[in-house]
Amino acid sequence: MQQRKSKSRTVEPLEYYRRFLKENCRPDGRELGEFRTTTVNIGSISTADGSALVKLGNTTVICGIKAEFAAPPTDAPDKGYVVPNVDLPPLCSSRFRSGPPGEEAQVASQFIADVIENSQIIQKEDLCISPGKLSWVLYCDIICLDYDGNILDACTFALLAALKNAQLPEVTINEETGLAEVNLKKKSYLNIRTHPVATSFAVFDDTLLIVDPTGEEEHLATGTLTVVMDEEGKLCCLHKPGGSGLTGAKLQDCMSRAVTRHKEVKKLMDEVIKSMKPK
Amino acid sequence: MTMSWARREHVGDGHTCKCKIISTFTSERTQMCALGLRWPERLAFRQAGPVPPSAHPLGQGPPGGPAAAPRLGCCSSGTAGGGAAPAAAIPTALARARGFKRAEAPAPGPRGRAEAARTPGAAMPGDHRRIRGPEESQPPQLYAADEDEAPAARDPTRLRPVYARAGLLSQAKGSAYLEAGGTKVLCAVSGPRQAEGSERGGGPAGAGGEAPAALRGRLLCDFRRAPFAGRRRRAPPGGGEERELALALQEALEPAVRLGRYPRAQLEVSALLLEDGGSALAAALTAAALALADAGVEMYDLVVGCGLSRTPEPAPTWLLDPTRLEEERAAAGLTVALMPVLNQVAGLLGSGEGGPPESWAEAVRLGLEGCQRLYPVLQQCLVRAARRRGAAAPS
Repeated sequence: MQQRKSKSRTVEPLEYYRRFLKENCRPDGRELGEFRTTTVNIGSISTADGSALVKLGNTTVICGIKAEFAAPPTDAPDKGYVVPNVDLPPLCSSRFRSGPPGEEAQVASQFIADVIENSQIIQKEDLCISPGKLSWVLYCDIICLDYDGNILDACTFALLAALKNAQLPEVTINEETGLAEVNLKKKSYLNIRTHPVATSFAVFDDTLLIVDPTGEEEHLATGTLTVVMDEEGKLCCLHKPGGSGLTGAKLQDCMSRAVTRHKEVKKLMDEVIKSMKPK
Repeated sequence: MTMSWARREHVGDGHTCKCKIISTFTSERTQMCALGLRWPERLAFRQAGPVPPSAHPLGQGPPGGPAAAPRLGCCSSGTAGGGAAPAAAIPTALARARGFKRAEAPAPGPRGRAEAARTPGAAMPGDHRRIRGPEESQPPQLYAADEDEAPAARDPTRLRPVYARAGLLSQAKGSAYLEAGGTKVLCAVSGPRQAEGSERGGGPAGAGGEAPAALRGRLLCDFRRAPFAGRRRRAPPGGGEERELALALQEALEPAVRLGRYPRAQLEVSALLLEDGGSALAAALTAAALALADAGVEMYDLVVGCGLSRTPEPAPTWLLDPTRLEEERAAAGLTVALMPVLNQVAGLLGSGEGGPPESWAEAVRLGLEGCQRLYPVLQQCLVRAARRRGAAAPS
C-alpha cells in the first residue's frame, strides 16, 4: 500500500491530493486551515541595521535592512524612501536561474512594495531628517533561502520582524557647516505604526481553499490568493493573480482566517521582541 | 551578540560522534547560529598544535609520505605561486588588490572612508526589474565622528570557533551552512543535470571507467553576496568581484570532484554570503565542499579553505583567519584551499604587498596547517548529517 501511494504521488499527484482533501486533511498531516510551524529569529546579521530570518515549515526567508542617506525626492521633500527587493537565488530552488530577477521575484518585490505603501507600516515622514536636504532610505533586501511555497507570507513576516528590529543612529545637522553628524553609539528603533500580516490560500478544483500551500500544492492549485490584514481587522492588500474565481462568501472566510492568523503572528512577534529587550 | 528566537517546534536530539579526533572540542558561549539551529551542535576549537599528516584519523597521510611538500593541484593567478615566484611577481599582484581596494589608499586607514563616497542607488537607472530608489545614497558611517577601534592584538595562529551543518535546505540536493566568527555562508548544490551545449567527443577513456576528457562533467559555481553582508550596501547586480570569486571557487573545487563520473552533466554550486566577518572566500570554499559531499557527489577528498592576512608595515605578521577589521587594514591577503587527506593544495588566491617570497611561503604553510586543524569539525558535521538523513529516511 505504501509503495502504491508513493508511486501515485509522482505519477498522478492531483489524484493523490484529492484523496486527502476528501478527508479534509493534507499529506503532511495538516488540516485545511492549519499553518506550518513558524519560527522567527531576529538580529542575527550584525552588519545589517536590522535583520530577521523566518521559517514557515521548510520555506526560509531572510530579510536585512540597511539604512543610508539620500536626498529626499523632489516631489515630496519631507519624505524618505523604503526600497524593498525580493531575491530568489538559484540556491533556493532549481527552478530559478542566476541572473536578473525573474518574473516571480519581480511580482514578490512589487507585492511587498504595495504592502508597505498601503499599510503605512512606516510613515515616510518619519524618515526625513532635514526637509529638502537629507532623509533616510531603508533598503529592505529579502532573500529566499529555501523555496517550499507560500513565499509572500514569509517575506511579509520577515520584513515586519526586521523593521521592528532595525535601529538607526542618531543624526544631527550641524548649523554652521550644514553637514550631518552621525552618532553611531546612540541608536533608536523605528516607529512601526501598523503590523501587516499576510495569509495565503490556494484554490483546488475551483472550490476548495487550503491555507499555507507548500510548493507542491501551489503547483497543483488552480489559483492562489493572499490577504494582508492589519491589527484592527483592516484589509491592507488583496493579491489574487488570476486563477479560478471565488464567491463572496469564500472571500469572507478567507478574511476571517486572516484575522486569526494575524493574532497568532502578533503573539509570536511580541514574544520575540520581549525576549530581545534586556540588551 | 545576542540573538533571540521563538519556536513552536521541537527539534530532535543531537548525536555524539565517536570517531577519533585530533583536536579537542569544547562548547562555548550560549549562542545560536543565525538560522536558529540547535546549540549543542556548535563546536569550538582549542589551540591544538600543527598536525602532522601521519596522525590524521582518516588516512595514512599523503601518498608521497608525510615529508612530501604539497603539490599545487590547481593554482589561481595573481599570487606568488607557492612562494617560489621572484619578487617581481608581487608588484603585479598589488595592482590587482582584490577585496582590499588598496590602489587608492596606500596607507592603511579606515577603509570605509578611503573609498569613493557615493554608491549608486537601489537600481541602475535602466533597471526596470527592481523597485527604484534614490539615484544615489551614502552610508551614515561616512559622517560618523568616531573612528573604528583598531583590531585587538591576538595569537596569529588562532582559528575562530566554527559551526558547520550540512543537509539543511529541503529543495537542494545537498547544502551546507558554515559560520566562523562573524562570517556566515550558505551553499547549495543541485544536479547533475544535462549540460547545455555538450559536445560529442571521443578519445581514450580515463582510468576507472571514467569518461574521456571531452565528455567530462562540468562544475558551475556561483558566488553571491547578500546586499546587507558588508559594511556598505552593495546593490544586487554583483559585478566583477563576485564573478572572480566564483571562478576561484570553481578552480579550487574541480580537483576534488570526480567529474569523469558525470559525463555530459553539470553540477551547480551556489554560495550565498549572508554576513562578511572576514575570510569569506575560505568559508565559501569549505561550505561548497561540504555541500557537494552532502549531495552525494563523488569526490576524491573534501576541500578546506583558510584565509590569511598580513598586518601593515611596522612589524608585519601573517594572521590566520582574519576578522573583517583585520582584513580591511591588511597589506596583503591570501586564501588557501587544501585537500586534507591527500595533502594537496587545491587552490590559492592572494594579493597585496606581501614582502619577500619567504613570507608568502610562510603564509601558505600557516594556512595549510589551519586547514588541517579545521578538518575534523567538517568530518563530524558530515557524519551527523548522514545520521540525520538515515533517521529520517524510513518514511
